[in-house]
Amino acid sequence: MSERLRVKALEKRFGDIVALEGVDLVVPAGQMVGFLGPNGAGKSTTMRSILGLLSVDAGSILWDGDPIGSDARRHIGYMPQERGLYQRMKVHEHVAYFGRLAGLDADIAASRADAWVERVGLSERRDALIQELSVGNQQRVQLAVSLVHEPSLLVLDEPFAGLDPVAVATMSEVMTEQVASGVAVVFSSHQLDLVQDLTNHVTIIAAGNTRATGTVAELRNSSPHRILAVQWQGDAPDWVPPGGAALPGRAGAFTVPADSDASMLIAMAAAAGTVASVSYEPPGLDDIFLELVG
Amino acid sequence: MSGRSQILEVARREVTVRARTKAFQVITALLLLIAIAIPVAIAVWPESDDLEEVDLGIVGADVDVDAIEEQLDALAVDRFDFSVVQLASDEVDAALIDDTVDVVVEPGPVLAWKDEVDPDLGFLVDSLLRQNSVIERGVEAGLAPEEVAGLLSPVEIGERFVEEPDEDVAVASALAFVSLMTAFAVPQVFGNLAMMSVVEEKASGVVEVLLSHIRPRTLLGGKILGIGFLAVCQVAIVLLGTLAALLLTADVDLPDSAWSFLPIFAVSVLGGLGIYLTLFALLGSLISRQEDAAQVMVPVFVPLMGGYFAGQIAAFGDADNLVSRILTFVPLTTPLLLPVRVARDAIAPWEIVVSLVLLLVAIVVLVRVAGRLYEFTLLHKGTRIGWGTAVKAMLRPDSVR
Repeated sequence: MSERLRVKALEKRFGDIVALEGVDLVVPAGQMVGFLGPNGAGKSTTMRSILGLLSVDAGSILWDGDPIGSDARRHIGYMPQERGLYQRMKVHEHVAYFGRLAGLDADIAASRADAWVERVGLSERRDALIQELSVGNQQRVQLAVSLVHEPSLLVLDEPFAGLDPVAVATMSEVMTEQVASGVAVVFSSHQLDLVQDLTNHVTIIAAGNTRATGTVAELRNSSPHRILAVQWQGDAPDWVPPGGAALPGRAGAFTVPADSDASMLIAMAAAAGTVASVSYEPPGLDDIFLELVG
Repeated sequence: MSGRSQILEVARREVTVRARTKAFQVITALLLLIAIAIPVAIAVWPESDDLEEVDLGIVGADVDVDAIEEQLDALAVDRFDFSVVQLASDEVDAALIDDTVDVVVEPGPVLAWKDEVDPDLGFLVDSLLRQNSVIERGVEAGLAPEEVAGLLSPVEIGERFVEEPDEDVAVASALAFVSLMTAFAVPQVFGNLAMMSVVEEKASGVVEVLLSHIRPRTLLGGKILGIGFLAVCQVAIVLLGTLAALLLTADVDLPDSAWSFLPIFAVSVLGGLGIYLTLFALLGSLISRQEDAAQVMVPVFVPLMGGYFAGQIAAFGDADNLVSRILTFVPLTTPLLLPVRVARDAIAPWEIVVSLVLLLVAIVVLVRVAGRLYEFTLLHKGTRIGWGTAVKAMLRPDSVR
């Protein structure tokens, strides 16, 4: 699959504050990439740099292998973290306006706005003012705005923040449809379960640099730890596997070195008490995330 | 889409969204109402009867009171309103003492006053008596009364002024004042609108989406064009309303300078809008909250207030004073002073040309500089950006984008 976007060793300082110091990110065409990191990690700064909203001090941003320019940026759809909408414009008018700004003829912008307003479920609120909509519906408008010019790359900063389950479902469906039609999608989110449901590809950054990138399975398998989870019948014995440690908040779950002998650990657990069930697997995305950014 | 088309698109949005707000519609309607109401009110308001009432007594048996009253009123067109009464000789003193009459014509003829002479009234009554005396003598000499009256009819005498007549000065001052108020108020009202529009876009985050499609200077250009267009429409509506009301209700003779004033006034309004909308929009980009607006507006208010005070002096006093002449060439005050001095006909043609060229150059430079500053300031959030920081960022060599 061709690389639509590649961000290489991006660096950005705001005065004395280092925002980015070596961010790498690859978004292939027709693929969705979860861009993860704690607050202040540099996700939004990276996304703004991709859009050209910020200049960077070092590094490069490539579009189909070439340095990105204003022509390529016209093919990006962007949804910022702070939902940017004109409160006194009408829903359809708003979407069409951004379509025209993105270069569509007025007629095409109007018909696309019609289609997207319907797709995000706002047909009945077509002529409502933005300020009359709920937060969730405003987010739907924002999604329509980012898609009206049929971009090749979607950059979505926290698209699920503040959405109810129905809106999350709509947003997820649209994102999946876009990927299926060949659009590259990169989105940030703190809802890691949602990220895992949507994509296998993630990039994790912290403190302005990329800590890990790959499929969720690759990241899990590359962890130096494994999770041993044991359930005993009756009271749990006072047992901890050799080289391991109890996972806080999860009874009977232990983190152990990845090179541990799983069958031996299970046998030792069985010797400590009557085992009802046992699992031995790489840590989940949540744990990987904490390992990398903690 | 070209930058020009995007500018027009941004401008169109500003116009359509702002023009349909109730606030804009109500304010425009109110201004129009006031503009029409003032000339109409002046026209229909009953003129105050400020004629001085005079009671004239006449001693004599065969006096035609009505005829004399008519003659006197004709002579004293807009000065006195006469009531003539017939008196007996022995009633004269008492009537004067208790103020029943102001003056009495006694046989002789003699004018009897209470204790002092009113020169204007005396001159008028004296003129009438002389006129009547001439008519009597003419009739005695065999002329018809009409022939004598024809000989006495006044000669039409023309007028020539070596300085501007007071009436023209008043109209010119009125024009100057209207232009000054327009040049002072319009950039402020619509500049504030531009400023709040920028702050709103920053605060809501919509600026990020905008700038993912268009360049900052394109956004700035569209905003100035759109809000400027709205301002011109509002000013035109109000002025046309005023003009229509004046034409329908009043007889106003505009001085010659008024016709050279109108195009200069229009250019000044446009120039003022260009320069001040840019400045206000730029100031809006320095802040992130509407509450901080007052902190950054001083650099705009100083020239506006300075220009306004100098304009007041030029409008009603010496329009060619040194301060007014200097401020005419300062681009930030040109829109206020230039039309005032033109309305007062107190400016040389070369001064008009030079000041307009300087204004145009200043607008071009300001828009370019503001465009560069805007790129840095527009996405800044949080505390207000100092001018020093903004300028440093503008002068910094471009980094990777």
